[in-house]
Amino acid sequence: MSNQRIAEQSLSRAERQALANKRTAISVFQISWIMVFVCLIVVNLQIRGNFPTWPPAGVDGLERILPTVATAGLLASVFFAQRGLNAIRKEDRPVFLSSWRAAIGLGAAFVLIMAFEWVSVQFSGQFSDIFRVMIAYHAIHALVIGYMMVNVLNKGRAGAYNAVDNWGVEGAAKLWYFVVVAWILFYVVLYII
Amino acid sequence: MATITRPLPGSLPVTVPHPRLNEYLRWSVDHKIIGVQYMVTALFFFLFGGTLAMLIRWELLTPTLDLMADGSAYNSLFTMHATFMIFLWIIPVLAGFGNFLVPLMLGAKDMAFPWLNAFAFWLIPPAGVLLILGYFAGQAEAGWTSYPPLSTLFSGDGQTLWALAIHLLGLSSILGAINFIVTVKNMRPEGMGYFQMPLFVWAIVATSIIIVMATPFLTGGLTLLLLDRVAGTQFFNPAGGGDVLLWQNVFWFYSHPAVYIMVLPAFGIISEVLSVHSRKPIFGYRAIALSSMAIALVGFTVWAHHMFTSLTPELRIPFMITSMIIAVPTGIKVFSWLGTIWGGKIRFTSAMLFALGFLSMFVIGGISGVMLAAVPFDIHTHDTYFVVSHLHFVLYGGSVFGIYAGFYHWYPKITGRLMNERAGKIHFFLTYVGFFFTFFPQHIVGMLGMPRRVAVYAPEFQSWNVIISIAAFVLGISTFVFLVNAVMSLSRGRISGANPWRALTLEWATTSPPPAHNFIGDPVPFKNPYGYGTQASHAYLEAIDQRYGVSAMPNTDVTTPAPTSKLTSGD
Repeated sequence: MSNQRIAEQSLSRAERQALANKRTAISVFQISWIMVFVCLIVVNLQIRGNFPTWPPAGVDGLERILPTVATAGLLASVFFAQRGLNAIRKEDRPVFLSSWRAAIGLGAAFVLIMAFEWVSVQFSGQFSDIFRVMIAYHAIHALVIGYMMVNVLNKGRAGAYNAVDNWGVEGAAKLWYFVVVAWILFYVVLYII
Repeated sequence: MATITRPLPGSLPVTVPHPRLNEYLRWSVDHKIIGVQYMVTALFFFLFGGTLAMLIRWELLTPTLDLMADGSAYNSLFTMHATFMIFLWIIPVLAGFGNFLVPLMLGAKDMAFPWLNAFAFWLIPPAGVLLILGYFAGQAEAGWTSYPPLSTLFSGDGQTLWALAIHLLGLSSILGAINFIVTVKNMRPEGMGYFQMPLFVWAIVATSIIIVMATPFLTGGLTLLLLDRVAGTQFFNPAGGGDVLLWQNVFWFYSHPAVYIMVLPAFGIISEVLSVHSRKPIFGYRAIALSSMAIALVGFTVWAHHMFTSLTPELRIPFMITSMIIAVPTGIKVFSWLGTIWGGKIRFTSAMLFALGFLSMFVIGGISGVMLAAVPFDIHTHDTYFVVSHLHFVLYGGSVFGIYAGFYHWYPKITGRLMNERAGKIHFFLTYVGFFFTFFPQHIVGMLGMPRRVAVYAPEFQSWNVIISIAAFVLGISTFVFLVNAVMSLSRGRISGANPWRALTLEWATTSPPPAHNFIGDPVPFKNPYGYGTQASHAYLEAIDQRYGVSAMPNTDVTTPAPTSKLTSGD
């Protein structure tokens, strides 16, 4: 049994039930909500199928270097978020706070880079429209969940979490992983295939 | 597994105060209140959608346009009829049954997330308001299927409100489904494995799985529709490089599984009602439970059968095959239900009558569905009244009959009183006859070539349409028999007691209505929720009577003592 599970043995039955419920709910939500992103991917692929070439003739392809750097930063943020979660489970607050700040910083850098890409893509009908819809939809999720992570950071600085009671950190981390997974799917469709 | 075999020490018949009316009109996190809120709100929208249906049938009494101002007004009529019935009646009322019953059937104090439960419900009234506001902005007229280019280029601003309202309703649905899945997974009592759960709970789980996987697709499609309408994108406009088939694929990927969202909980209700009212164990419990999951899974593979006439020809065959395969798990259920009632001690209560009505009518709908699954047949009957007939046989003959069975069955548990059985039987016969003569002839006019969604039709169809419309008016009137009965019984119905049907599922092992946290003490589930006719089940039922007082028996004027000597079959 992991240290976290051992620590949770000290909780009451009702508290353990509530924690189990929250964990199951986040998993179900992730499995459900990824389907919206799958829908947008299907839309992208179906639109592409209606054109002889993609990008369509006369349309410049997407720039790849900056988005790839942003993606690398996003993947690194996963490492730091998980490091932060592991740290608070051991009540190592300095490592939790520094890791969490790094995760937020990398996430913010990702959003800024992709916002720049969003603004600078040339209007070219379906090609730019579907690109913008996908990026914007993902960005909304990144911003909302990023805001949750900032809240967690503020509460963490005020001493809110400990080895047993750290659901806020766990929940925010799991939602952030969802944002990253969704982006990886989008990155593959937009920039690789 | 513990079984109650004698009264608990110190127990006396228990009464609990009924919730006050104002508790149902405001925010509450009690799943029982929320369940009733869902049901009553949905009933209100059922009446609204039903009124629109009566207007449709009035218009179709003659082959010319005489009631509606023009074709657009008629388009709005059937658009809003279907939208209200699907999104504001059937889906929410079944969610209401789930909300009220699932925690009780699992012996839980409430759902996993009571606040989220309330939030999910309170998304519904604003969505209904948005839809009604559409009448003041140029109402949506593209059908509930909202196909572009009509929905993107030619429909009034009400179409935008329609898309926003469906967004809200989809969110409500998803949040409710997450709640159900978590509650069932984590909050079953000790000793209740998945295969000891009532079949209604299985049905709700299967429905919830469909909701969480399919509804987000609708969200994606509606977002693009809204962008086409308000932001100048051209996703569904061929002139701008878009594709109308794109909408059809995205829409039906949700909307075909949606029909299983609308019928699976009704299947669960039927499993409960048939077993209790024939005093027999369910035949094929695992088959029924697992077939619900099979329907949920296979339901995602059939969507393009709604598009046979617009689909690439090579894809028709695979979708025809999957659309026929999906009849198999439903067929397993139907035969299991027949096996359940066969040789049973059938009590023809109103609930049972509607359940039997469901069996007959849903099978007809299912058969017409398999006919439509055959591409050569569908090519000719697509967009005719044959399809209208099929969908109403499965949705009204299936889901609505199941809902009525559920109301009659669980009304005592919700209110503490029995509905009037004589009125219930009048309701049933009016509904059954009115329904059959409204929708069966539509198979015929459809095969004769009458298109759907038209106010002006060829004169040779008029005599059939007159028969259909008169029967529809009878069906409309039958609804009021039910409503009057439901309202009058609140104050005049006989006190039901805890378990008037002598059922074995856990919701009957508490007072009617249940107290604030559902059970007094820890509930003890009976080892087999359908194990009628055994010494142990008799002892369990006796113990409930001892604890909560002897319940009223239906069709008698006074409460009668439960038999104490010889067991009768199915006791």
